[in-house]
Amino acid sequence: MENTKIKQVMSLVFEVPLESIADHASSDNIENWDSLRHLNLILALEEEFGVSIPDEEVGNLVNYKLIEITINELVK
Amino acid sequence: MENLKYTEILQLNKELVGTIKSKPYEIAVLSNVTVNSFKEVLEYSCRLNQIEPDVELGNFDNIVQDSAVLTNKDMVIIFYDVLNIVDQVSDFFEDLEEEKYSNLKNKLFTEIEIIFENIKNTTSVVFNSFSSAYYNYNNVQVSKIETFVNELNIYLEQKKSSNVSIVNIDKLFTNIGFKQSIDYRFYHSSKAPYTFAFLKNYVASIETVFLRNTGKLKKAIIFDCDNTLWKGVIGEDGMEDIDMSPASKSGKFYHLVQRIAVFLSKRGVIVCLCSKNNEQDVLDVLRHHKDMILKEDHIVIKKVNWIDKASNLRAIASELNIGIDSLVFVDDSNFEINLIKEQIPEIATIQVPTSISDYPDLILKNVYKYFNLVLNSDDAKKTEMYKQQFDREKSKNAFSYIEDYLASLEIELTVVANDKAHMPRIAQLTQKTNQFNLTTFRYSESQIDHFMTDKKHEVYAMFVKDKFGDNGLTGVCIVKEDEIDSKNVIIDTLLMSCRIIGRNIEFVYVCHIIKDLANKGYQKITADYIPSKKNAQVEDFYNKVGFSIIENIDGVKRYKLNIADFEPKKVDYIKINTELD
Repeated sequence: MENTKIKQVMSLVFEVPLESIADHASSDNIENWDSLRHLNLILALEEEFGVSIPDEEVGNLVNYKLIEITINELVK
Repeated sequence: MENLKYTEILQLNKELVGTIKSKPYEIAVLSNVTVNSFKEVLEYSCRLNQIEPDVELGNFDNIVQDSAVLTNKDMVIIFYDVLNIVDQVSDFFEDLEEEKYSNLKNKLFTEIEIIFENIKNTTSVVFNSFSSAYYNYNNVQVSKIETFVNELNIYLEQKKSSNVSIVNIDKLFTNIGFKQSIDYRFYHSSKAPYTFAFLKNYVASIETVFLRNTGKLKKAIIFDCDNTLWKGVIGEDGMEDIDMSPASKSGKFYHLVQRIAVFLSKRGVIVCLCSKNNEQDVLDVLRHHKDMILKEDHIVIKKVNWIDKASNLRAIASELNIGIDSLVFVDDSNFEINLIKEQIPEIATIQVPTSISDYPDLILKNVYKYFNLVLNSDDAKKTEMYKQQFDREKSKNAFSYIEDYLASLEIELTVVANDKAHMPRIAQLTQKTNQFNLTTFRYSESQIDHFMTDKKHEVYAMFVKDKFGDNGLTGVCIVKEDEIDSKNVIIDTLLMSCRIIGRNIEFVYVCHIIKDLANKGYQKITADYIPSKKNAQVEDFYNKVGFSIIENIDGVKRYKLNIADFEPKKVDYIKINTELD
């Protein structure tokens, strides 16, 4: 459930089709994933899941898997 | 808009894009802080108002230089935030020496003048007031930063021409609360201080500026009667029991709304009525109720009947011969408001709030957004006169102006080669730099280490400082000897951090490297430009330096330079210190 939602958010923020957000999606293989959009992604995730991502995590969430783990941890 | 989530705005933008058929309204956003998510909010707000936006973000912290380039826009929005100004000169402003204080003040004064000069022909400029709210230590004493900010704001008001709108940032902070406006988490990591809530409110507050400039201000306001101009229903309660008395508990809010309606009619706004009632009942109130201050004289058209309101509003627009999108409609009924929203979305609607004490305020917020409240044409002429006077005074050539300004910065470069102490920063710059990056090759620390050790490679690092502060290591160049021709050297990487772009530093820097390569015995240089999504601004860089193009394959340009023919560009005002041998 959360996992699809994360991918939907990523697809909207990075302006790419949902199908192209694979489990191995990362800032290396999504071209639009730059530093500015990274901030927008954090904003969107925080709003969507009603969580606050800690400072030290913000810079680390550079691939889908890490985002999934962090969000699932935070919404528990 | 204020209640929408970021993803909802993205989704709505996706749906709206391409639906508005008009010439794009070109907006440039210049800032010395990161304003992520601002672009999307701004685009959405434009589209809501039937304006198709074309938003371009300037380079980070490059307001002065960008203002010289982005001059042909319809609108320029400038975020010149005190936070980043202070961070660059001092970590503790209160202890700043007098000399530095006045240097900084003069620098900003000059920058404000240059910016205003550069954008004097832009239809519309939005500039934020400076704020010291970040440093609110005490409410009784005036801190140094407050004095500084006040001086800047006074100067801003003095120098602005009529095309400039100043956004009062402190008012915005007050509206939504400072803690809701600023998120230091993202400021410290990414120089992005503003929250999404702040940016939404910011856009809402400048809406009136782009409405004005695209001719989308409203011309008429149409009021319902029962529970909109007075409390109660005339057809049921009768003359005695409807209430709009300035002396009664809830009547006073309706009284105030009527006062606003009268005020609007005096300012050239067309005031109309549209009410489901027997016409005679409403006429009786208008003519005979002692508390009624909105009179027939103030009202241009009255549609008091039992026809649906969508038809009535269409009739009003056509009788007045104005566009249907020039109307603002006020009603207490959920049903009527939704009907209009659905049938004629171009009409702006205001629903009387359930909490009646908020009613006058809500009306006023919309009035200031949608109507031009300039008293008469003489007032408008006066501003025009001021503007012309301002332009005459500033007929100076903008280019020489910028050169003078750059000279005053006392820029100093230091170039070092193969210094292993800087490996981490160099690797980081190759990984992060997008805009001023000719080839965009990304390297790890160990790769940089290898280049520094290898005799065939040189790794140059550049440090930049000026009289206001130290920018640190902000330029990298990696060259390697041609494997076939040992007299030829290839520029593998050339990049500069975006915060120092636009000061002609790049020319001095490259000339210096060329000189060093000549000293090392090289005779020719080969250099490539590889296009990426972000580096279009350096497409012609090697051309400008004096290289000649020898090949262009799918946008990848290869350049050559015979060092003997090279004529360095003269930039006298940048000093270069060298630690090269």
